[in-house]
Amino acid sequence: MKYDFIDSPLLARLSSLPVEARIAMTGNMAGRHRSPHRGSSVEFAEYRKYVPGDDTRRLDWKAFARSDRFYIKEYEADTNMRAIFVVDASGSMDFQSDGESKFEFARRIAASLAYLLVNQGDAAGLSVCAEKLQLEIPPSRRAAHLERIFSALDSIAPAGETGLASALHAIASKAPRRSFVVILSDLLADTAPLANALRHLQQQKHDVSVFHVMDRAEIDFNFERPHRFVDMETKTTIVAEPELIAEEYQRALNSFLTSVRRECAESHCDYRFITTDSPLEPLLRDFLTARGVKAKH
Amino acid sequence: MHFLSPSLLWFLLAAAVPVVIHLVNRRRHKTIEWAAMQFLLSATRQYRGEKKLRHIVILTCRALGITAFAIAAARPVVSEIIGWGSGSINTVVLILDRSASMEIKTASNQSRRDSALEKISTSIKNLGNPRLMLVDSASGELQEISSPELLPTLSSTAPTDTAADIPALLNRAIAFLSDVTGRSEIWIASDLQASNWLPSDDRWNTIRSTIATPPEAPTIRVLSMNNPSGPNAAIRITESRRAGDELLLDVEIHRDTANKDAPLSLTTHLNGSNTSENIATTGKLARFQKRIALPNSQSKGHGWLSLGADANTRDNTAYFVYGPSRKAVSLVVAAPGESANYLALAAAPPGMNMEAPIASPDQAAQKISPELAAVLWAAPLPEGAAAEAMRRFLVSGGHVCFFAPVTQSRNTFNNLGWSPTTMAPAGKFFILKEWNRSDGPLRDGLDGSPVAAQRLKALRRQIPEGDATTLARWEDGEPAFVRRIFDHGTAWLLGTVPDYSWSNLGDADALLPLVQRIIDEGNDRFQNSLSTTIGAENARPQNSQARIRIHGPGDELTADVFLAGVEKSDNGLLAINRPVIEDAAESLNNGAINSLLEGTRHTLLDQAGNDSDGKGSAEAWRLFLFAMLFFLIAEALLCLNPKAPCTVHATSIPKRG
Repeated sequence: MKYDFIDSPLLARLSSLPVEARIAMTGNMAGRHRSPHRGSSVEFAEYRKYVPGDDTRRLDWKAFARSDRFYIKEYEADTNMRAIFVVDASGSMDFQSDGESKFEFARRIAASLAYLLVNQGDAAGLSVCAEKLQLEIPPSRRAAHLERIFSALDSIAPAGETGLASALHAIASKAPRRSFVVILSDLLADTAPLANALRHLQQQKHDVSVFHVMDRAEIDFNFERPHRFVDMETKTTIVAEPELIAEEYQRALNSFLTSVRRECAESHCDYRFITTDSPLEPLLRDFLTARGVKAKH
Repeated sequence: MHFLSPSLLWFLLAAAVPVVIHLVNRRRHKTIEWAAMQFLLSATRQYRGEKKLRHIVILTCRALGITAFAIAAARPVVSEIIGWGSGSINTVVLILDRSASMEIKTASNQSRRDSALEKISTSIKNLGNPRLMLVDSASGELQEISSPELLPTLSSTAPTDTAADIPALLNRAIAFLSDVTGRSEIWIASDLQASNWLPSDDRWNTIRSTIATPPEAPTIRVLSMNNPSGPNAAIRITESRRAGDELLLDVEIHRDTANKDAPLSLTTHLNGSNTSENIATTGKLARFQKRIALPNSQSKGHGWLSLGADANTRDNTAYFVYGPSRKAVSLVVAAPGESANYLALAAAPPGMNMEAPIASPDQAAQKISPELAAVLWAAPLPEGAAAEAMRRFLVSGGHVCFFAPVTQSRNTFNNLGWSPTTMAPAGKFFILKEWNRSDGPLRDGLDGSPVAAQRLKALRRQIPEGDATTLARWEDGEPAFVRRIFDHGTAWLLGTVPDYSWSNLGDADALLPLVQRIIDEGNDRFQNSLSTTIGAENARPQNSQARIRIHGPGDELTADVFLAGVEKSDNGLLAINRPVIEDAAESLNNGAINSLLEGTRHTLLDQAGNDSDGKGSAEAWRLFLFAMLFFLIAEALLCLNPKAPCTVHATSIPKRG
């Protein structure tokens, strides 16, 4: 594979785990996901009275024999899933203390899930945002479409301020209802606009998953000597002694995380807090397994 | 405070290291691109007040810890004597008050002198053993002390029965230090007894002007050893004379206020036998006459009176010596008549071992001899050979009382003379109005009873003229009785005579005590050869004399000239007692000392009630080491920043790796 963020052995191991939808999807093709409409699958849904114009082939003659009434036998419809990966490409996502940056880590997750989705017949699309929505690749189930997504992910360099909330509003408006929206971001912005955007997505019946990506250094904040901190987005600087302000930093971080978690829960988002030093396979396996369980219920 | 290793004080500069490191660290920060800026901004805004103060306190603790270590390494010495503000000292001249009053025991049963020596010895040792010079108050000699530890063992610091002349000792020290380079100090260990410090002495002006001027003038440190003491009484024999088979001792007992009404035990030691008695006295000063019966066979002998043990045992003993009974012979110079007879009767009352021949003024030159106790002169003032004989008699210690000459005469004697005779107004008298009741022949008795001098009434009088001290005045303020000192002798002039046409002086109310006291004082010069005080000229052994002490404090058979006792020489026995001024209890207060040393660099260390430790100084490095530990522990505790546990997201944040 020519993209270093694609781990083929990992994808091969994960291919046995389907990417399930937590809610009924509205696809344009028959697929493996539950649809809100009646269809022709083998799974019985309900009986309803015959009305003129119904296909007589769907009459349940055994029920007529028992009741002298005509009943139509309804079956569940199966459809495919449209997934949209929203990747935050603002300057803050370029932060890396050790190993890979937050953007690189988010890119690996997005690429892996997109591959798994297309591989199981679902459609995958990509939206990249920084200050505004920079790139939109509509969902498609064609294998060649993956190449386009990978190429886009490979070519993006994080920069600029965060405009995630406005990008999500745009996606919520434009994307077909009942899509699978996967957000990969450090969410370093005001939580109120983000909460509004998540509610907008929820209103559009989207299945939203949030991968909250942070670097271990941002959490621990255990620097020993004075540092001059340069904002990666605005380039403003602060000289501080981390030892002295670590307690206040942790307090502010915890407050932020609590707020984000609460907003995601209220918007019924599948929230996952991850750090860039986490191994990818357990993370994705846990994600896919959890979704599978929820889909059966 | 003095430092034994002052060079290590350079390490004090290290106290700036934490601050410098802090400042350098702030300047040498590492630049890092940071994403989670919103938390950083929030944390920086919250970092205010208490935390910033805590950081400053931490820095301060570090600096103070290093400072305390540097000071401890320099081995500071905190001394009660030198205080906290002293640098290195090259020379210390110690003026040690060895007077008898310095032997008063303090609460720790240690004498003031011993306590001072101990403190000074420790202080000198802790000061790094600067050059130590000792000027002791007894000898006044300057000597170098090789080691301060020897101070308490030296004979020149031993107890004495002497008095001290602090101004003289200070002058001695200043004279020595005038040739000494380097920083020097004068330490005075004294009980501040006023009679030793002589605050009204003119020498203090010289001392102040000498050491107040130059910048390198020595610092004076006064170690005031006037600690409170227990009850104390001091005994003194003011006069001793033999009257036949009796020895009459005029005794004075000074007591402090603490026990002035308690009975005293008085022991009389006479030629090896002791008798004790309790005496009840009241007041701080008690005077009485002690009569001791002498064996007929003994023409001479010695003894002493002693009091029971108290705070100062050195002033509990008064020594006396007696010789064979001596007839008091006086000469009455007057024209035959009533005055001559009265004077002869007053000078040699019947039954007394006294003799008073009468001579005319013409015979006076031949009759006046050094063997006479006194001369009673009721005639025109002597002239010519008689005047010359009279001068020799006076200079040798004789006493002469000149009475009004009755006849008009303008003779003068050493600028002394008489005014013309004046008569009292008709029906009136010249009455003696006031007289000195504490000094002179008209003084009150030992028991305080006054002489009935107010009964003296005169019809005629002559006013003494010339430079003399007035001891009594007539009612109109004119002098009635005056005194002129002639070397060792004294001349008295009384402006009337015991003649019925002049006054009632012959009634003996005033005449008898007046004449007897003059004769006694004249006769005392023969008795005085038997007793003296330490420091007096006759107390110093002559080179040709082989003098040994036969009795002294604790029966010490030493020839220490600074101890009281009875000594035997070729000239006979001599009782040597402590100086009179040593019994004066008055001491100077801090204000008086400051006034005496005004304009000089001086400190006064008041030891009153502060004699428990007996050290005077100590190395204080432990104190600073503890201070360093305190600051470092405080710094460590402040640095233990108890981080608030991440309770909210502890489970949601993935573990590292």
